[in-house]
Order: sequence, then C-alpha cells, then structure tokens
Amino acid sequence: MDKQLDLLQGTLDMLILKAVSLGPLHGYGILLRIQQISKDRLEIQQGSLYPALYRLEHQGWIASEWGESENKRKAKYYRLTAAGKRRLQAETENWNSMADVIAGILGTKPEEI
Amino acid sequence: MTLWSRLRSWAQATLRRSRMESEMDAELRFHIEAFAEDLVRGGVLRTEALRRARLEFGSVERVKQEGREARGVNLSGELLQDLHYGQRVLRKSPGFTAVAVLTLALGIGANTAIFSVVNAVLLSPLPYADADRLVLVKEVLPHAGPQPVSVSGPDIAQIQKLNHVFEKVAGFRVWTYEFSGRGEPQRVTSDRISSELFDVLGVQPIVGRVFTAEEELAGPRVVILSYGLWQRGYGGQPGVLGQTANLDREPYTIVGVMPQSLVFPLPGMAQGVAADLWVPLGFTKAELEDVGDNFDYSVVARRKPGVSLGQVNADLQLVARGVLETYEKSARDAHQSLGDFQLGMASEPLRDEVTGPPRPTLLVLLGSVGLVLLIACVNVANLLMMRAAGRQKEMAVRLAIGAGRFRLLRQFLVEGMLLAFLGGALGLAVGLGLKDALVAGMPRSIPRFHPIALDWTVLLFSFLIVSLVGLVFGALPAIWTSGTNPNASLKDGARGTSEGLDGQRTRAAFVVVEVALSMMLLIGAGLLVRSFQRVLNTNPGFRPEHVLTVSMDLPPAAYSRDEQVVSFYKQLTDRLRQTPGIVDVGGSTDLPLLGGWTHAFTPEGYRSSPGAGLNMCNHSVIYGDYLEVMAIPLLRGRYFTEHDGPGSTHVLIASESLAKKYWPGENPLGKRLKWGTAESADSWLTIVGVVGDVKQGPLDSVTALHTYEPYAQLGSAPSLRIAVRSQGEPGAAAAAVRAAAWGLDRQLALGDVRPMDEVIRRSTAGRRFSLAVVGAFAVLALTLAAIGIYAVLAYSVVRRTHEIGVRMALGAGRADVVRMVLGQGLRVTAIGILFGVAGALGLTRFLESLLYEVQPTDPPTFVVVLLLLVSVVVAASYLPARRASRLDPLVALRYE
Repeated sequence: MDKQLDLLQGTLDMLILKAVSLGPLHGYGILLRIQQISKDRLEIQQGSLYPALYRLEHQGWIASEWGESENKRKAKYYRLTAAGKRRLQAETENWNSMADVIAGILGTKPEEI
Repeated sequence: MTLWSRLRSWAQATLRRSRMESEMDAELRFHIEAFAEDLVRGGVLRTEALRRARLEFGSVERVKQEGREARGVNLSGELLQDLHYGQRVLRKSPGFTAVAVLTLALGIGANTAIFSVVNAVLLSPLPYADADRLVLVKEVLPHAGPQPVSVSGPDIAQIQKLNHVFEKVAGFRVWTYEFSGRGEPQRVTSDRISSELFDVLGVQPIVGRVFTAEEELAGPRVVILSYGLWQRGYGGQPGVLGQTANLDREPYTIVGVMPQSLVFPLPGMAQGVAADLWVPLGFTKAELEDVGDNFDYSVVARRKPGVSLGQVNADLQLVARGVLETYEKSARDAHQSLGDFQLGMASEPLRDEVTGPPRPTLLVLLGSVGLVLLIACVNVANLLMMRAAGRQKEMAVRLAIGAGRFRLLRQFLVEGMLLAFLGGALGLAVGLGLKDALVAGMPRSIPRFHPIALDWTVLLFSFLIVSLVGLVFGALPAIWTSGTNPNASLKDGARGTSEGLDGQRTRAAFVVVEVALSMMLLIGAGLLVRSFQRVLNTNPGFRPEHVLTVSMDLPPAAYSRDEQVVSFYKQLTDRLRQTPGIVDVGGSTDLPLLGGWTHAFTPEGYRSSPGAGLNMCNHSVIYGDYLEVMAIPLLRGRYFTEHDGPGSTHVLIASESLAKKYWPGENPLGKRLKWGTAESADSWLTIVGVVGDVKQGPLDSVTALHTYEPYAQLGSAPSLRIAVRSQGEPGAAAAAVRAAAWGLDRQLALGDVRPMDEVIRRSTAGRRFSLAVVGAFAVLALTLAAIGIYAVLAYSVVRRTHEIGVRMALGAGRADVVRMVLGQGLRVTAIGILFGVAGALGLTRFLESLLYEVQPTDPPTFVVVLLLLVSVVVAASYLPARRASRLDPLVALRYE
C-alpha cells in the first residue's frame, strides 16, 4: 500500500458528493467507495464521515432514506439531490481550476520568471 | 429549496429529536457492525473485530454531538439539557429554592398587584372616545383667589359661541332628585347637562335619543336613564321610552337610555358622582340673565384635532374678555359698576383632573413596592452568590472536562431564569390575591372607571420584571465564577476554597443595600403612621358618637309654600323627640367633614388690607338643637332659641377662629356682619354666640371660618341634613327616623343615612389605605432584610469555622466569638443605616403630600426606626453568633 495521504481541509464534502453521485450508498459504503476509488491512498477518519453527511443533508445536497443493505440489514442510504448535483459540478470546476493554478505555480522553473 | 430543506431538517431534528437520536444510533451501529463483518471476513476473530471496529471509529458520542450540531439542533437541545440540569440543581437544594422562589413571588406579586391598580387608574385612557382631547374649562376670579372655579351658568353659551378651539362644549351640574313610584323612594344622583354633552364624550344612547337643543332651555321635562337605573327601576324593558320617571314628584318623559359602560361624571372629578340619570340644564330666563354669579357649573369640551392645550388657553383668554363684556352690559343695565372685577379662564385635560388627586398616593405605593422587589432581589442574589461560591469546584470540574465558558454562563442564565419564572408564576398567584385585597380596601378617593384586572399590560409588566430579574440572577453568579481557574480551584478544593475578599465585600454590600432600603421604607411607613395618629387625634370640633344623620330634600312640587316645609320639619322633630332612645334632634344645611358652600361677607367696620380679597366663610343654616346634637361647644353668648325668627333681630353664631380673626381681643358678641360686599342690600346679622371650630372638610384640611344662622330666620329651607343623637347605637335610630319621615310623607326619599363616626372613618379611609399598604411593605422589607442578614452571618460563620476554631484554641472566649459575629453584623448595618438615612432624607419629600403635621425629616420617626432596625439586626445576628460560640475548637479545627 502506498503511503496514505491526509485529506485536504474541506475536500471530504466534495468526495462524499462524488461518491453518492455514482449511486445511492449507506455511510459505510461511502467510506469504502472513496477508499476504493482512491486505491486506499486517502485516510478518512471514520468518525468524521457522519457529521459531514448530516451537514450535507441539512444543506439539502444529499437526501437519505432507510433501505436494506447487501446482507439484508436496515441501513440508511444517501443519494445526490438536484441541488447536490449542481453543487458537485461547481465544486469540481472550482477544484480543477484551483489545481491547475496551484500546479502551474508549483511547476514554475526559475528561468520562466 | 435549500432554505426550505434546512428548515425542515432543523424542524424535524428539533421536533422529532428522539427519533433522530435513535436513527443516528442505528446508523452508527450499522456502520460499526458492517466494518466488523469486513474485518471478520479478513480473518479477524468476531469479538476482536467488534472491538477494533469501535476503536477505529472513534468516539460515537462525539460523532453524535457533531452530528447534532451539523443539524443545527444543538442550541435548543443543549438548552433543554441546561433546563433539565438546572431543574435538578434546584431540586437538589429544596431549602434554597423554596426561600428564593417565595421571596421572589412576594416581590413580584406585590408589584403586580400595585401595578394593576396604577395601570387601571393612571395609565389607562379615560373611558370615552378619543379621551385625550377632552378638557375641563374653568373660570378664574382673581379677586377671590388664584384657584380656578366652576363656571357661571349663562357663560356656558358664551364659551360655546366665542371659542375657536373646541369641536363641542357642554356644561353640567350634579343634582339630586327624589325618584319615587318605582319601589321604595330613593335619592338619585343626576346631572343637569347641555344637549351636547354626550357628543362631547362621544357616547351614543343604546335606546332612544339624546336631548335636543330646544330641550336644553326650561320646557318639556325629559330624562335619559343610566343603564343601572333602567335595570333597577324599569326591569330593562326596551319599551321604557315615552314612560315617565317621577322626579321630585314631577313626571319626566324618558327619551333615552345610555350604555352600561358610560360613567359620567367620573369619580374624582369636582362633581364626581356617577349619575343615575341625566336631565337638560333647563335654564330659566331669569337664570340666563343672572350673569356673573353662581359659579356652579362644570364645563367639559372636546378640542379640535391638532389644537394644543396652549392654543386652547390662549383662545380662552379672548373668550373670557367676551364674557366679561356681557357682565359689564348687564351691570350697566342695572346701573351698577363692576369695579375692578376681573375674569379669566383656564383649561386642563380631563384626565389630569381625574387622575391628579390619587396620583401621589399611587406613586408612593409603586415606589415602595419597587423597593420591596429590590430587597427581595438582593436577598436572592445573595443566596445565589453563596451557592455559586459553593459550586466553584463543580464549575472547575466542568471546565476541566471541556465545557466552554459560554456554556457555563448559559447554565447559570438558565438557572436564574428558571428561578425567576418559578417566582413569577407563584408571584402572579400572589398578585391576584393581593390585588383583590387592595381593591377591597381601596378608598373612594381612588377613582375606578376601569375594572382593576391582571390584563395584558399588567402581565407584560410582570413578565418584563421576571425576565430582568432572571437575567440579573443568571449573570451575577456567572460573573463571580467566570474567573474560576480550574487548576487552582481543584487544588484548593481540598480545603473548602478559602474565600477571597471580593466575596465577603459583595455580601457585605448586599446587607448594606438591604438595610438601607428597609430603612427608607420603614421611615416612610413611620411618617405615615405619625401623620395618621395626628389626624386621628385631630379634634373634629364635634362629638360623632351616637349621632346619626339623614339627608332630606323636600321636593318643591309638593312643598311649594314655606309653611308646608316648616310644618314638616316641626312635626318630624316633634315625633323624633318623643321616640324613646332619642336624646335630641336638629338639622343643618351641611354637615362637618363633608364640605360646604363658602360665602363672601363683610364685617361691620372692618377694613381689610388691600389685595386681601373677599372675606369668605363657610355658612350653615341650622334647625332645632343642631349644635347641641353635634356637641359643638358654646364658648361665649348663647345658642339659638325659639325666639330667633323672622320678626326679631337677625342673629348669627360665629366660630371661634372667625371671631378671633375679625375682632381680636374684643368681645365679638353684638358685632355685626352681612353677606356680600359693604354695598349689598342684605341686612346686618348680629353675633349672639361663639362656638368651637369644626372641621368642615376632611380631618386633615385647614379649619375654615364658619357661621351659623337659625333656620326660622330665613323662612324655610327645603333641604336639611337631620342629625339625631341617640342613647344606643345610632343605626337603631335610623328606623325611627324612617318611620317618622314616612309617617308624614310616604313618597319622601331619605338620602345618606349614616352615623357620624362612619363619616369620620370614611374621611380617613385614604390615609388608612396608604398606611396599611406601605406599612405592610415595610414589614415585608424588614423581614426580608432580617432573613438576608441572618443568611449572610450564618454563612460567614460556617466559612470561618476553621478560623474561629483557631481563635478559640488561642484563647478566645465564647463571649469574644459572639462579640465578633455580632460586631460583624452591626458594622455592616451601621453603614446601611447611614445610607438609609441619607436616602430617606432624599426621598421622604415625595411623601410630603401624604403627611399631616409631620415633617418629612421628623426626628422621632428616624430614631424609632433606627432602634427597631438595630434590634432586628441584633436578633437576626444572635443565632449565628451563638452557633459560632458553641463550636468545639477541636472539631472546628478539623472542619473542612
């Protein structure tokens, strides 16, 4: 396993929105999906996931409903709302342009100035 | 959308808190179990897996807490928690809670009760449409004095005609009638009124109509009934219109009925007895021509919108000039000169006239009840502070395990509010009871045109007080403990935190404030007691015991000739004299204490100093043995006899002070005076006797000069107040008077049947009332202060147990310890008394209007209050002092 990275401040919300945009998931499933997509390179504090979920739900970006898990247990599933979809799009664009700028700055060589 | 979902989420979370909690539990449990199952699948033992899953997940409680915060339910949730905790804290110390809540309830209850009266009497608008625009117009006769007087009848029409500032102007005069033919004959209070009166007040009749302008002049006899008389006399039938009411044996046609809510005139107004019925002013031609005399009418007017009182008074000066011209014209017609006769006019809001007299009393009551609340608050603050000191360790623990300072502050606030609202709730109940007691004891001098109730204004007032009290109570201990350093406190806690100087000082300051406030209240109450004593000790000038008085007014319609009147009173007194148990009978046109008309007179040969104005005195026409019945002592000369009559020299009896004023050092017997000015056509009256002064107004009023004239000399006077002296209870004589009067005339209405000592009691009712209320407050204040001082000293003894032990071990005797504790109490009290005296000197002048022959700085009152206060403090300090002195030094040293 590669060295795990600590999550950048404020990015967990974005990752959750992305995770549930691919289909409804319960909390534990969201955790697994993020780890799976990141190939276990991101370290997410399990406890920090739920406050983030509640916050997002409170803001109306995700919605929840009780359903049945793979092993026939009652679990709370989250899915993206229309507002959440717009939010994810905006955040993604924002992140990409930010990443470009940062990468550009960091990649600058002395002779380019 | 977002806002909506947020609101919904918050609402759901708040309203369905328990469901949210259990869902959160289920969700987190699912997570941990699912994680554990994955671990099991990875080859970890099941029991070990669950433990590892929990470990990796971290604190479930913290997640839940953050979850709640994320949903914004935290504030209300924590508030509930605080409430719950606060309630537990209060329940855990029931003694403290009971004392605090009870103290607050007394303070808040008393304030609620007094404010409900103040609100109904002083703050509520008068019960008329747009009542702020109503003013009373009065005339000013500079030669008779600066005080405005009532208006002369013919001037009402002039004011209506000449003014530019009023929408409507109406005159009225209180009158009484015999109302007969409907059950027992009764005297009813009536108002002779201008036809515009009800328009001025903005009131419509519920049945029929108001008077027309034509009816205002003497003509058709019409009457409007009050709702009360309509119900009482006519069973409330709507068919009452067109029926007749028998007033003074003459038929009046009923044209209207006014609503139940109408009270006019208002109690407290110059002629303030609520009328049973209204009749038109009914001026005769002669009355209208008699200008510049009989200043007997009240005038009420409605200002035009936007016209100020200043504009009104400016315009009234012009009106007065116009009225004076009518006087001059009339004087010219009669070939007389007005001399330097002047006339002015003035107006004041109707409201001031009504609420003016009771205002000082009510404000004093409000002020004293405010002091009581302050003392109650100081007491509770004191208790809270002692408790806060005891809870420093608890706060330190809570701070140490991570509670925010804000959270602690909020905890205190919630506890303070909880106390205040418990006190407030109980206080409302107390207030309701006190209010009823107040209303029951309220004298007539405090007008009641609104029901006195705990209405919304009063509830709001109480709520504001309670909130303020709660806020202060929450903030105070929070401020005291907010400096708590958890480390120091926890370490210190091992040996009952030695208290800083600050705490002791604050508590001492509390006692100082309490003592000072109680001192002020006690001095106020003391001054009222002294005044009351003075009033009760005032010699009214007559002996009220065993005297019954009854008003009789013979209606002119049935007694048109003088002989009829004379014969009625002669037969009446003869019959009464023969009744066993009745000692003597007499009559007078007016009775002591109830006021009377003043007359201008001229003593023969007396030269008044320039600018002294007219010579005025009270004058009574008396019948039979009136002076003997009232036991008004004869000082010189003689009482009237049967020989004094129209045929003989016209005689007069003067009061002692009148004789002394006009004939100082001379024998007043044989001196003469006459009514009016020196030029008047009246005949001279010779003084044949001098009697003692009598209080014609209330006991605490200035004694007026007085003259008496025999009834026989005047021919007749149909209205007399019959006075009967009996051997037994004066009430028993009432039946005899009724029997005698109705034996002569079954239709005659008897008015104001009352014993003279009841008249005296009534005249002191206002004083008795304010004394009782302020006195009760003072006693309450003293009790609260005593409790406060006791609590502070008792607490201080407990805190100083160790120190006392050391002192005793070092050889201090029990007496030394008692002296130490008592000394502590007395030192603080002494400072409080200093402040109290200073405060009382500053404040008692507001009492001045309620005092009688007592200075606001009356030294005996101050001394007595001081002694009382000191003895109460000594008593309150003695218990803790004794407890301190009984400490076993060995036990005390080990005390923690």
